[in-house]
Amino acid sequence: MTAAVVSPDHVHATARRTGPSLPAAVGLEVRKSLSTRSGLTLVAAATLLAPAATAIAAGTASQPLDNVLGPLVITGMLSALVLVSLGVLSTAGEWSHGTVQTTFLLEPRRGRVMAAKAAAVALMGAAVAAVAAGISALVLVAMEPSASWAGGGRAILMVAVGGAVFALIGAGVGAAVGNTPGALTGIYLLDLGLLPVLQVVKPALADKIDPGNAVLNLAQGAHQALSITILAVWVGVALIAGTVLSRRRQVS
Amino acid sequence: MITVSGLTKQYGGRTVVDDVTFTLEPGTVTGFLGPNGAGKTTTMRMITGLVPATAGSALVDGRPYAAVPNPASVMGTLLDAGAVHPGRTGRTHLRLLADSLGVPASRVEGVLALVGLTDAAGRRIRGYSLGMRQRLGIAGALLADPPVLMFDEPANGLDPEGIRWMRGLLRGHAARGGTVLLSSHLLGEVEHTVDRLLVIGQGRIVADGPVASLLGTEGVSVRSGEPAALAADLVAKGYAVSPGDDGALVVSGATPGDVGAVAAAGGHVLSELRPLQRGLEDVFFSLTAA
Repeated sequence: MTAAVVSPDHVHATARRTGPSLPAAVGLEVRKSLSTRSGLTLVAAATLLAPAATAIAAGTASQPLDNVLGPLVITGMLSALVLVSLGVLSTAGEWSHGTVQTTFLLEPRRGRVMAAKAAAVALMGAAVAAVAAGISALVLVAMEPSASWAGGGRAILMVAVGGAVFALIGAGVGAAVGNTPGALTGIYLLDLGLLPVLQVVKPALADKIDPGNAVLNLAQGAHQALSITILAVWVGVALIAGTVLSRRRQVS
Repeated sequence: MITVSGLTKQYGGRTVVDDVTFTLEPGTVTGFLGPNGAGKTTTMRMITGLVPATAGSALVDGRPYAAVPNPASVMGTLLDAGAVHPGRTGRTHLRLLADSLGVPASRVEGVLALVGLTDAAGRRIRGYSLGMRQRLGIAGALLADPPVLMFDEPANGLDPEGIRWMRGLLRGHAARGGTVLLSSHLLGEVEHTVDRLLVIGQGRIVADGPVASLLGTEGVSVRSGEPAALAADLVAKGYAVSPGDDGALVVSGATPGDVGAVAAAGGHVLSELRPLQRGLEDVFFSLTAA
């Protein structure tokens, strides 16, 4: 048996002595999301869906639009719905593909990994939704020149907030479930199935829990405190559940 | 560099790893052997914190893996070559690892060349064979040039040339003072690569020691032009002699020196004299038999 010991200089000859800073980890998570076809496709879809829907709505409307705020936010929420998938893929996708093993070998502090992922999807969600809303605005400028732009800037801002919120919800639920198909099915069943049904049978209750409705209210300046609370609860519950369950789950 | 103490894992009432204790020293390649389900992979995952231990501890460089700053720069790990995103290229995968570790991008090209994947680095991983994924996993483990390597079944999917290459890689790492823990079910690969064997069966360490001492000897095989006369002299000296293959004699409980002395005294000409070693397969099955 050789008694030689590797010197610390040799050990860290090329590597950093500590793990990446949180901003660097966030940047890495953004790159991971954008380094696959599925991630790029989702970003492209989220960017183009709102302008496409805006163009179709403006082109088929029987009367000219009075104001751009409603169309911008409603079509922007379509992008936000796609961004849910981006959030799910960033967390549940890692468990589904097994890449979470590599991620946790590089950074065993799972709470820190979750924080970096949350920040990354929030940034991407906000940026993509804002770009989508911006392109939608250009579409409206071209197709509805007489529409009022009162609140247009606020609408774009709230769409960006909605994009971040929905991406965060996706990331949290994805981490909690740890399975991409399961997380996507659950979220879309809730948002596109259960909440619309609830809106019909118990509209008062639906208004108090529907995150899409909360974003619309925020853009319109209505029920501000309630809307912020609704979004905060959705994001908070999803992220806490995701963090707790992914910390406990063993990587096998 | 790796100290495992009383490591235990239970699922419900079932114990899959039971009080496993060992220490790995720099400059050695240690083989971790055991049948399927013996607890090798679970032990390795507990060392890295991927699977929480029910009891016991595992220290890497004196600390739990999770408490080591930038731990993958201290211990390069290959547990599952399939744990890569199939939609990324090999180069992209390694660049993401390199940025997380804080090693320069040029190092990525270095390890790609080292594992022989330079030409395939621009292809998506879904098109890689199992052997190529193993090489990619090994490249990832080597990125930061860590002093400790822990590989779980790294030879899976490698061709004979690849296995020989990996053997040289691990021996070279140990020769430079590195520590290697190698799990494998390929007994021949382990026998020719490791200095020390850890044999695990039903979750417990059943043997731990240098390869030579575990294999031990079972006497001597000797050939002579006059085997009957040599056998008579050996029996007269108190040795048990039995016929071996192709006219050889098997002398139990003797060393080559003992047999050589008897032959010299009797004037016997020998054409072969060698110690008989138990094969690793024999040792493995005798130790891990339920």
